[in-house]
Amino acid sequence: MAAVRFSGVRKRYGDTVAVHGLDLEIGDGEFMVLVGPSGSGKSTALRMLAGLEAITEGEIRIGDRTVNGVAPRERDIAMVFQDYALYPQMTVYDNLAFGLRRRRIAKPEIDERVRRAAAVLRLEPYLRRKPGQLSGGQAQRVALGRALVRDPQVWLMDEPLSNLDAKLRTQTRGEIKRLQQQERTTTVYVTHDQVEAMTMGDRIAVLNEGALEQVGTPEELYERPANTFVGGFIGSPAMAFFAAAAAPGDGGTRLTAAGIDLAVPGAAGLPREVTVGVRPEGARVWDPDDRELVGPLAGEVAFVEALGRETFVGVDVGEVRLVVHGEGRSRLVPGERLEFGLLPRALRFFGADGRAVAAG
Amino acid sequence: MTSRREQTLTYALLGAFSLLALMPIAGIVLTALQEPGGGASFGEINGVHPGNLRRAWEDGNFGDYLASSAIVAAAVVAIATTVSILAGYAFGLMRFRGSQVLFYAFLLGLMIPTEAMIVPLYYDLRDLALTDTYWALILPQAGTSIAFGTFWMRAFFRTVPRSLVEAARIDGASSWLTLWRVLLPLARPAVLTMVVLIFMWTWNEFLLALVMVTDEGLRTAPLGLSFFLGRNQADLTLLAAGAVIVATPVVVLYAFLQRHFIRGMVSGAVKG
Repeated sequence: MAAVRFSGVRKRYGDTVAVHGLDLEIGDGEFMVLVGPSGSGKSTALRMLAGLEAITEGEIRIGDRTVNGVAPRERDIAMVFQDYALYPQMTVYDNLAFGLRRRRIAKPEIDERVRRAAAVLRLEPYLRRKPGQLSGGQAQRVALGRALVRDPQVWLMDEPLSNLDAKLRTQTRGEIKRLQQQERTTTVYVTHDQVEAMTMGDRIAVLNEGALEQVGTPEELYERPANTFVGGFIGSPAMAFFAAAAAPGDGGTRLTAAGIDLAVPGAAGLPREVTVGVRPEGARVWDPDDRELVGPLAGEVAFVEALGRETFVGVDVGEVRLVVHGEGRSRLVPGERLEFGLLPRALRFFGADGRAVAAG
Repeated sequence: MTSRREQTLTYALLGAFSLLALMPIAGIVLTALQEPGGGASFGEINGVHPGNLRRAWEDGNFGDYLASSAIVAAAVVAIATTVSILAGYAFGLMRFRGSQVLFYAFLLGLMIPTEAMIVPLYYDLRDLALTDTYWALILPQAGTSIAFGTFWMRAFFRTVPRSLVEAARIDGASSWLTLWRVLLPLARPAVLTMVVLIFMWTWNEFLLALVMVTDEGLRTAPLGLSFFLGRNQADLTLLAAGAVIVATPVVVLYAFLQRHFIRGMVSGAVKG
């Protein structure tokens, strides 16, 4: 196991810059998730760490070693690919043993390690099968097993769950997390799925257009997004935003926008023009007795997402769509009028440049 | 879904074309088995006389010609297959400066017909004292076959998921080992198809053998057949028997590798 450090790492393809000066430290034994939309540079960063892409500028270190010019096979890493990349002509056993044989490990030890990994991943009945005879979930476990048997310094995972169906994805997510906690192998995991990022990572690095937007624990990213991009990317349904004028008043701050006029206690020190971010759980159906809420705001119901245990209701207020969270099922239908209030402590404020501003 | 009518029409058309393709071959085989003496007209049946084949074999000296052809074809196939796999691997999966230009230079070999280069080639090989040797037949054909083979294998290697090669690299395999242990087993249909095609083209090459060798001991089967035809123009059954002897090795090889050949020809056409 080893720590990983990206220092000022850039990657350029011709005139296109895929990664702009990435600085990121991943602790020994940490599970770091790189998350971002397509083209954010997350896979490129991972591939540079693997040695599959050359670095244009900067330095990558694994443990005490700078690995810029080191061949992938000498980096002591193992990688799980999106399409699993199992060797189709080899049995599951040989797929697992391939990397160990290349390292000239003694036969009995190879056998022991393969069988131990197969036991951990419940692959024993399939050791003689070829990848073509496996289901998607089994193939995925073989891909994980190939990384596991090697016992490398770092595990790299490039969207390993994206080819699985929803149920299997949730199941395998837990399996990977369990495995990582058990082995404590430093892991860098790339995904575009923020649910995966939130549920698996010790810390998450959010990338956008080749730049690092924020690094932090899932809770930090959710509760204190550094900018509107992170606020909008992390969380489902996403954080809703509206531009408002902020002015001191009524012992707090008055936020006004089309169809919105809110007296928020505290929130001092905001700039005159702010972007307000509201997560669904920061908005509830109006209840005059609920002392926590400010409002009411009123608007037309645009959509109702009833998930059984909870319901998200999209409400159009002026030109802004906010999402209101409710427990249980809701009888609301689109087109109805709904009054709701906001929780001041759940509001997030961003300046003109999109960066978070602290409110006193 | 195709309707019954469409299906019938498809079968009728395929049947007609198959018949069209098979008729001349069946005609030659039947003629080769007719009563000796050349009396039978093309395709007429008057019994089975396999003795024609033995007579043609002995009269036509086909044993030597086939041996020459086998030497040339085996050498060409071995050289071209080895070089094509290596070059196709490099062009298909490795990134290096000038690979595009170099690849198009390789393709020139596909575009220039033997007829266009045979005369300068003759003088070049004569200067190297290679005319009237097997090398005069092997080297030019290996050259043109490598052009095709490189094109063919590059197309195959480009269909291999890049992640497979990357997984092997991370697992610790060198480029050579990745090719040998990971890619070649997958490439078997493509390689065997290439082997059949190169073998067939080399086996059937006539002009090069006609120009480059005069020694009878070096004559290849098609050249030998042509001399045999000249000597036996009156005996149709003997001519047909000679043709059958010369064509048989290609048919046998194709029959052995048929399954892979079809898979190789259609690989990449449908997503597996």
